[in-house]
Amino acid sequence: MSRNKVHAPLAQRRKRTALLFLLPAMVIFAVYVIYPILSSFCLSFYNWDGVTDKSWVGFANYNELFHNPVFFTALKNNVLWLVLLMLAPPIGLAFALYLNQSVWGMRLVKSLFFSPFVLSGVVIGLIFSWFYDPAFGLLKLIVGHGIPVLGDEHYATFGIIFAALWPQVPFCMILYLTGLTGMNPEIIEAGRMEGAKGWTLLWHVVLPQLKSATFMSITLTVIGALRSFDLIAVMSGGGPYDSSTVLAYFMYDQSIKYFRFGYSAAIAVVLFLIMSVFITYQLRRLLRSES
Amino acid sequence: MASIILRAVSKSYGDNKPTLRDVDLHIGDNEFCVFLGPSGCGKSTLLRIIAGLDDPTTGDILIDGARVNELPPAQRSVAMVFQSYALFPHMTVAQNIGFGLKLAKTPPAEVERKVQEAAAALQLEHLLARKPRELSGGQRQRVAIGRAIVRRPGVFLFDEPLSNLDATLRGKTRLEIARLHASFDKSSTVYVTHDQIEAMTLADKIVLLHAGKAVDEHGSIAQVGSPLDLYHRPKNRFVAGFIGTPQMNFIEGTVSDIAFDGVTVKLNSSNDFIKSSTGGSSLAVGQPVTLGIRPEHLVVREAGSTLAAGESAMSRTVQMVEHLGEQTYLHLQDPAGGALMAKVHGDSTSRPNDIIQVVAPATCCHLFTADGLAVPFL
Repeated sequence: MSRNKVHAPLAQRRKRTALLFLLPAMVIFAVYVIYPILSSFCLSFYNWDGVTDKSWVGFANYNELFHNPVFFTALKNNVLWLVLLMLAPPIGLAFALYLNQSVWGMRLVKSLFFSPFVLSGVVIGLIFSWFYDPAFGLLKLIVGHGIPVLGDEHYATFGIIFAALWPQVPFCMILYLTGLTGMNPEIIEAGRMEGAKGWTLLWHVVLPQLKSATFMSITLTVIGALRSFDLIAVMSGGGPYDSSTVLAYFMYDQSIKYFRFGYSAAIAVVLFLIMSVFITYQLRRLLRSES
Repeated sequence: MASIILRAVSKSYGDNKPTLRDVDLHIGDNEFCVFLGPSGCGKSTLLRIIAGLDDPTTGDILIDGARVNELPPAQRSVAMVFQSYALFPHMTVAQNIGFGLKLAKTPPAEVERKVQEAAAALQLEHLLARKPRELSGGQRQRVAIGRAIVRRPGVFLFDEPLSNLDATLRGKTRLEIARLHASFDKSSTVYVTHDQIEAMTLADKIVLLHAGKAVDEHGSIAQVGSPLDLYHRPKNRFVAGFIGTPQMNFIEGTVSDIAFDGVTVKLNSSNDFIKSSTGGSSLAVGQPVTLGIRPEHLVVREAGSTLAAGESAMSRTVQMVEHLGEQTYLHLQDPAGGALMAKVHGDSTSRPNDIIQVVAPATCCHLFTADGLAVPFL
């Protein structure tokens, strides 16, 4: 063996540096994301009130879950959220197209449109609770008589989803606006020269170039719909009669109110499996576009 | 079939002074017309007005004799090649070329056939399945041209199409565009550029546009004419200075004699007397004028050699010599510091501080009056 140490080539050293930079993030991700996921999986097979010892119950939590009507209400509501919140990307696109003009004062209008997104979910929930209030709400002033939107088991979920759309639309709008600003105007003009206008121009020329914005706004809207929690907690508390609950809120209810940590872990696992369908889809798209 | 007439076209943005003013222009069938001008002269705007992408503030646009002011771009029978090529990034080359046909509800088989035809004309057949991002700059350029020719428009519009290509490719593509234009039966071409070599080589007709203050005074058009017209007979000082590299020498002087065969000018800084074969009927002795002579028209002679009729000589000190290989630029100076530039043959032996005699033929000496207008040649 030669005693002279051979220096690692530059590429190898760079790789080592890259790893070093990645390490802190990887450690934090492992401790605060990966570990809780795995421990939730384990916990879902136990019965635990948070104080006394855990006891192994196998699939009993899941068995109970799949026989609980509230679980199916929550699941149905989650689907409703998913479907109705999907209105946000197209409405956001419409606003973005409308706002993407150079007219005097457009900046002010843009920031006004964007302002709901700045508010916290709890504030939005409170404002909309007052808006819907059948005694003094703005809705009563508009339609002339009070409608107990949040007090009616048929309307509550729709009322909350409407409130959720309020910040989600400007969020999608911003994504689209960024995409629109980055577009080469000559391509739009080329489309017009070729005879495209109105819907054809939008469909064949503009939208294909906003593909990444569409993808981002759909993904983030799906995630927003599946993790909906704050508005429900503030506006209805899942009620009336658990009619407006969703999986995330149901899980919170079972653990924080009823101390059934094993059971709520089982709900978390189900929610995670549903979400992972989208996450896998998104990751695959992301990896494919990178390669 | 596709002549273009512009009548009193003006364009202004907001309350600003007009960028284009009083453009009257006739571009005939199968004519290759180049809009040339410094940046900010509105040449691209004028092209976009013809295309229908911008509206004129006032004036009419006629294509094929019909007023098209209100027609959208696609119905004007025009096709445009953009500076950035503006290919649709999500479509393949074939889809890019066939897009307009598809929107016009052409049967798919027909689209396919026409795309193949255009691709064959531009040697793009092997690239038809590729996306624009997989192509080189020159290939993208050809796809943009293919998209323009496939619909067989009456008018082709090119907006600085070569400015994003490297020098070799630029020369090649220039030839290709000239060949393409020659293959059209009746279609006319309007081509915007700031490069006078492109303008001189391609154009049947050059439209040189003013920029800035001159627009308010004289309107946008500085001169319209064939390339050699603009080179030999510039109508004013701006045209004379814009066409030709290196730039024409301008020397201030006064009229000292007016004769039947031309005007003699006394140069202010060197007191040389220079003959110019221009008509003196509108001039008066003692009137200040500007003498214009192109560097390539100056001839270096040995001191003391006899002059032919219609030649004037000036004695100058060589300041700097630039050898370009095929030619040499001599930077000359008179005793009072007035500068003069001569473009002579490549193996000139002149060295700095040499005193040489330069001869100016009277037929190449332009005269401009104080308001910048050229005095017509005899």
